[in-house]
Amino acid sequence: MAEVEKVFIGGLHEELIQDKVIDEKDLDPDFAHLIKKYAGKDVMTCLQCGNCTGVCPISLKIDYKTRNIIKCCQFGLKKYTLGTQWVCATCYRCYEHCPADLNPAEIMIALRHIAVREGIIPPFIKTAATNLVKYGQSVKPDPEIDKIRIELGLKPVHSHDPEFKTVIREIQLLVHATKYDKLIGIQEEVKV
Amino acid sequence: MSAYTYFFGCVIPNRYPGIEYAVRWVTGKQGFNMDVVDNREFSCCPVPGIFYSSDKDTWLLLAARNLVLAQEEKRQLLTVCNGCLASLLKATEYLQEPKNMGKVNRVLAQVGKKYTGIPVRSEGKRKVFEPVKVRHYIEVMAADVGLDAIQKAAKHPLKNLKVAVHYGCHYLRPTEHAQFDDPNDPVLLDKIVEACGATSVDYDDKLDCCGAGGGVRSHVVELANSLTQDKCTNIAAANADCIVTGCPFCLLQFDNAQKSFSKDGIPVMHVSQLQALAMGIDPISLGFDTHHVSAHSLLRKLRGS
Repeated sequence: MAEVEKVFIGGLHEELIQDKVIDEKDLDPDFAHLIKKYAGKDVMTCLQCGNCTGVCPISLKIDYKTRNIIKCCQFGLKKYTLGTQWVCATCYRCYEHCPADLNPAEIMIALRHIAVREGIIPPFIKTAATNLVKYGQSVKPDPEIDKIRIELGLKPVHSHDPEFKTVIREIQLLVHATKYDKLIGIQEEVKV
Repeated sequence: MSAYTYFFGCVIPNRYPGIEYAVRWVTGKQGFNMDVVDNREFSCCPVPGIFYSSDKDTWLLLAARNLVLAQEEKRQLLTVCNGCLASLLKATEYLQEPKNMGKVNRVLAQVGKKYTGIPVRSEGKRKVFEPVKVRHYIEVMAADVGLDAIQKAAKHPLKNLKVAVHYGCHYLRPTEHAQFDDPNDPVLLDKIVEACGATSVDYDDKLDCCGAGGGVRSHVVELANSLTQDKCTNIAAANADCIVTGCPFCLLQFDNAQKSFSKDGIPVMHVSQLQALAMGIDPISLGFDTHHVSAHSLLRKLRGS
């Protein structure tokens, strides 16, 4: 797990937990506002009680402290938080135990929104989004599974239907309308 | 009983077709003969760990598109996956806000769709709409079909079978969604397992996460597997014969992760597969050969009992 820690919460771990002095240049005063835009919650209401870290299943495995991440958000230490939020399992335990009704899981989701807009996009997001505009499903259809489906007496997966082309076109239109295709960099060309 | 539309999502049809067969069998003529139809125009729900996490506007649009299809048929959505449940349920909540609904409908108009909810009655000239009902398979089984009916239909009770149930996070939380069961002490899945004649064993940290959700499995598989290992250690300590869950993504995680830390592993199945077994289906139809952990020892034990 040391490797996971190094890659995913590197900055947070090395810079903050080791009591390093933080340069004022690293502070982004608008960070809390930006988070509010995506999460609808104000991180400044966090009491730093630490309940969220206490109940987090991920924190049992790696040095992942939800409370620290929220503290970084309060300070505006954007640079240390970007990247950490992708190890959140969105189990919503922190939300259930938050006395300030802050919903740390939604804060993580807001941080993901911000990271994506900064160009930090993990490959699995790109794969799933591409699968969606290609097949209408996030999981790529597997020809072997289709064989088993037929053996069981089930129809092949509906993304093979000729009529499903209309659905794919609808999805492509919707994805294009929000500019999601550009945001994620979906490989499949979206013809609109 | 209400009328439903199947919503299988992505994982079941493309990875575990046996679950799809089991659900169709249990709800179909051989089983409870429920009024459920197919809709071959559904897309991905879309998956919360990807779309809800990267762009909420796109997530809401794609979810609303699926909800419109259920609304046109005036049917409840029967989801068989915790992820689909969480995503679509949250979308119906978002769409209750007139601002969100207007925004979504302006874009949906491009594809000739409009989300209003299902009209339930009219007050004078005004129609009253209700959001599309999104239900979980476990909830429908326990509340609409009823535990007595499940017990009566279980003609081959799975005696001697010790089952470790796993609910999965998005069945339980956020708690305002999970109003059909007690989020802190859920019982429905245990009760269905018991109605099938099996014993639901208690184990430590029963409500813990499988580790896969929120993109963790896709992003850092070692971390997800390590959480699963903890769960499996507790389940093995309780001497369970198999793991039963209501979520195909948790199932996928248990099924795939176990080979990274143990040789044999504990077989995993969906609650519909367990029900179908108790109702006397030929196990060959349950597609256990697509599961990574072999269910042979389990099926042999069942045949012996």
